[in-house]
Parts: sequence; C-alpha cells; structure tokens
Amino acid sequence: MVTVGIPRALLYYQYYPMWKVFLEKLGAEVVVSLPTNKSILNSGVTRGVQDTCLPVKVFFGHVVSLADKCDFMFVPAVTSLGKKSYNCSKLIGLPNMARALIPECPPILDPEINYEKGRYNLYRNIYEVGRHFTCNPFKLKKAVEEAWASNLDYRNKMSDEGITHFQAIDCKPPPDVKSSSLTIAVIGHPYIIYDEYVSHRLISWLQKMEVKVVTPEMVSQEELDAATRRLVGVPHWSFEPEIIGAGEYYLETGVDGIIIVAAFGCGPDSMMLGMVQHRAKEFEIPLLPLSLDEHSSEGGLLTRLEAFLDMVRRRKRVCV
Amino acid sequence: MKGYLGVDVGSVTTKLALLDEHEQLIASIYLRTRGNPVDMVKQGLREIQKQISPEVEVSGVATTGSGRYLAGVLVGADLVKNEITTHAVAATQHIPDVRTIFEIGGQDSKIIIIHDGIVVDFGMNSVCAAGTGSFLEHQAERLNVKIEDFGGHALRSENPARIAGRCTVFAESDMIHKQQLGYPLDDIIYGLCQSLIRNYLNNVALGKEIQPRLVFQGGVAFNKGIIRAFNEVFDSEVYVPPHNELMGAIGAAILVHEEMEIKQNHHKSKFKGFGVSDIEFKTSSFICKACPNLCEVSQIAADGKVLARWGGRCDMWERVPES
Repeated sequence: MVTVGIPRALLYYQYYPMWKVFLEKLGAEVVVSLPTNKSILNSGVTRGVQDTCLPVKVFFGHVVSLADKCDFMFVPAVTSLGKKSYNCSKLIGLPNMARALIPECPPILDPEINYEKGRYNLYRNIYEVGRHFTCNPFKLKKAVEEAWASNLDYRNKMSDEGITHFQAIDCKPPPDVKSSSLTIAVIGHPYIIYDEYVSHRLISWLQKMEVKVVTPEMVSQEELDAATRRLVGVPHWSFEPEIIGAGEYYLETGVDGIIIVAAFGCGPDSMMLGMVQHRAKEFEIPLLPLSLDEHSSEGGLLTRLEAFLDMVRRRKRVCV
Repeated sequence: MKGYLGVDVGSVTTKLALLDEHEQLIASIYLRTRGNPVDMVKQGLREIQKQISPEVEVSGVATTGSGRYLAGVLVGADLVKNEITTHAVAATQHIPDVRTIFEIGGQDSKIIIIHDGIVVDFGMNSVCAAGTGSFLEHQAERLNVKIEDFGGHALRSENPARIAGRCTVFAESDMIHKQQLGYPLDDIIYGLCQSLIRNYLNNVALGKEIQPRLVFQGGVAFNKGIIRAFNEVFDSEVYVPPHNELMGAIGAAILVHEEMEIKQNHHKSKFKGFGVSDIEFKTSSFICKACPNLCEVSQIAADGKVLARWGGRCDMWERVPES
C-alpha cells in the first residue's frame, strides 16, 4: 500500500480530517508526524530559512521526521481561498521550499488550491494528485465529495459543540475546567495555539488557572465571515476571518479578556492582530498581546498570563 | 509585633522588605543576585534578622520576581505573585494618584497603566533586553565607568551623542564609533540614556495611554541620567518614590498581609523561619528521557530530600512526595 505523510503542522489543524478521508478513499495509507518535540523543533530550525517564522520552521522539522516513513509527502499549496484574498507567501511556496530544503524528502504531492484561478483549475489540480493512486475518475470524484463532506462535518462539530481541533480530531471530551468566573478568548492561528511546543501550553496553563478558554474555531464559519465583513469588508488575507472575525465576534458578544498570539515576524498577523487590538480598546476589553518565537521562555509567558488574569479579575470585581 | 515579609528575586538583584501591621517598612535589604538566588535569599534573611528586634513575628511571607517559585520553596511562601501585580500594588498604596508606572529592572522593563487604583493595561519588553539595566551596566563596563557614577556624568552632558537604541548590538557599535570620533564621555553616557528611553517608549510603552502622575521605580530609577531623559520627553515631572528599588518586595508584603488578614486564625504562615539561612540547599537539573520532549527538569533539595521540581512539560516530576 502506498503511504502518504502529513506533517502535523500549519494547515494540518484546519484540514487534516478532509485530507485523510481524501487520501484513504483513494486507497493510500496516511501517516502523521508526532506532536512537535525537541528534535523536530531543532531540525526545523537548523534546516529552515532564517527569515521564516517559527511555525514554518517547525513544519520543516515535521517533514524531516516523516521523510523516511512514507512514499509521498502531502503539502498542498493553499494560495487563495476566496475572491481577492490570498494566503501568506510562505504558505503558498511551502511545497517548493520543502523540496529545496529537504532533498531527502519523498516526492511531494502539492495540489495548488487557488480560488482565483477558477473551478476547472482546482479540479485539474486535484485530479493530478489522484492520478498517483487511481485511474478511475469516478472513484476520485467520490473521494473528493466524501472529503469535502467530512471537512464540513469537522468544522460544524467544532462550532456546534464548542470544542477545539484536538478534541474534534481525536474525539476527546473537553477537559474539566472547574467552574470558572472568567472567560478569555485566545485568538491566533491554530498552528500556533495548538502546537504545545510553540505556544508553551498556553491553553492548558489558562485552564489550570481556572479560566474558560474560547477560541476562533468555536465560532461558526458564517459568523466569522459576517464579523469580518462588518469590520473590514472583503478580507485580503485568507485567514482573516479566524483572526479579525473571531476577535470582532468575541468583542461584540462579550468576554472578560482577549489574548492574541502571534509568531514573531509574521507580516499578516502584525496587521490583523493590530486591528483586533484597536477594536479591543474601543470596546474597553483588556487585551494581552503575546509574540512567540523559539527563544521565548515559559517563565516570561507565565508572568504575563498571571499579571493579565490578576488585572482582569480585579477589574471585574470593581466593575460589578 | 507582627511582620510581613516580601522577597523579590530578580535576575540581577534580590530585595527583601519587612513591613509591620501598619504596612510601615521596618527592615529591608538590597543585594546583587550574582546568578546565585539561593545564597542571596539566605543572606537576605540573615541581614533582615539582624535589623529587627526579636519580638517581631513573621506572620506572612510572599515572593515575587523571576525567581519567585524557587524563592517561594526556600522560605515557605504563603503567596507567590508576579512582579507586575506587586509593583502596581506598592505604587498605588504609596502614591494614590499614580496613573503610569515605569519600571525598569535588570532584565526586563515594564509599563503599568492605572485607572482609579486598578491596573487597566500593562506592557513588558519582548525578547530583547535593549531597554533595561543590563544594557546600561554592560556599556558602563565598556566605558570604564562605575554604574553608580553614570548619572553624574549624564547630568553634565550638554550635547548628547545620538546613539541608535533599537538593539544593544547596534547601540554598542554606534557608541564605539562615537568614541572613536572623540565625543566626550559625558555626552556619550547621556546619549545612551536617551537611546534607552527612546527604545523603551517605542517598544514597551508603544500604544499605551501615558497620563500623569508618572512614577518611575526599579533599580534603574537610581540613575539620574535616565530620569533626566524621561523628563525631557514628558511635560510632567517623573516621580521616583523613596525605596524605588524595593517596590516589588513591598508590594508582595502588602499582598500577603491582606491575604493573611482575610484568612485570619484559619491559617498559620508557612514561613520556615530565619533558620532557613543555615540550611544547605542543593539545586540540580537533569534531562527527562521519558518521552521525545526531553524536558530540562530542575530541582531543589535540602538534606537529601527533594523539595520541589519544575521545568517539565507534563506534571510527571512536579509531584513531590509530601513529608
């Protein structure tokens, strides 16, 4: 059986269920890299391009760790997901960078997902990938349909049940958080906030501090899109709804505080998170910005979290 | 008489402050950590004991600063609190109309915005230490000036040199360049102070609403040159409270006083007593090989018994058998 490797990084969090169904329906076996650990991080940082952000470097670490475990590597080039909106250039060029930086990597399956180039281009790109596994176009069509259905299921499951990517992928129940008086929205890309090595377990720390954490994927796509439209109209960046939309949604519905998490050096985030910051000031809701890179220490993060929660609790007590 | 002890273990200095029931300072000590927080806490306790009369009974102890967890285990803390909260508490207690606190320490710098006595916003420097005391100390060493004399030189400057402050590495090469051009020492030193303030305002204080009354605390507030640079930027005077260097420790002591008052009779302080300074503590670290994460776990032990461990990504090592 042909095995296909999926690195547990970047867009894995958003699209893994869809990719898995697609590849398995075509008859492939899917292998996923382990959760980020020290050796994955180290190999990613040494192999990666200096100027890229930490999540991209981590991605290359995952590719290296999978290189000898699969026949193909699955790295789609997600270029555009909507009219006039584009992804970060590092994500667009991901398969090419992987090819150049990791020569030992098996052949890369890199369908380009580009809304701007139209439907026919998308079908053709998917067909190119499918050809490696089957010559039967009906089998391929069925795989695509089932994959898309599972993607919608996955997305709805998270927003309906208010659970995270992890819980939806592994079917784990959400952790028991002691009845908490505080609700904090953590806004950031899933590949940052759910990669425990990158985020230093931010979410579990908050839960230990008896905080109810809400995240972007717990809001339905329609509501994220609507909130984005209200604030900026047509988004420029593909993942604007999950940052700006989620920030706006939580500000409007009311939370006790917002923590925005960005990878150091991320261009799109510097603008998107700046927008959320600006809006939080107008809503007078406390906001803590965190910028993470490979040097950030857990100690510094904890000091900021503790001080932020002290502040939010104090404010709440006085306001009530 | 009851006393409440605050211990602030920073990266560069260790501060201890003892308050009485009326929150008046009765004893304090300011030491250099010199990379050895355990010994400095022990020495600090010895010095405090020397300063007070034997009737004083320590009824609560709190630790703060980047070494707060370690110090908390050493002394038996009733409360372990982050340094932002303790600095804010001490400032609002001593200067009720404070709106903005500048705090510049050895390895990090902060800004705290206060509204009606409550913290409403704060900022901390990110990864780089360009706007902190370590930067000044390092440059003083390079210029062969004692850090204590830094302020005096800065005040004498008439035409400060403009030094890039974005990054210490660039600031240093810029400073050397100015030295080679023959700038007088005073002007270079004040130029450094200005560049530190520029960096602080563009980095830590970016986007914060700075309203008077402005209070400046932390060890760097001893430096008259920095105060001069601050005053040139703002219309209103920057106020440096007495005991600016102790504010973190004082804030911790105030908080533990409140905490123990609320609990009253139910809880006795966990303070291990001044005898702690005679106990031999041993710190060590190892790499856990239980999973691919390879966490660096550090531990502190006394008399062959492990008191606490931390640093792991899971709680495997954090559970220490209770004695």
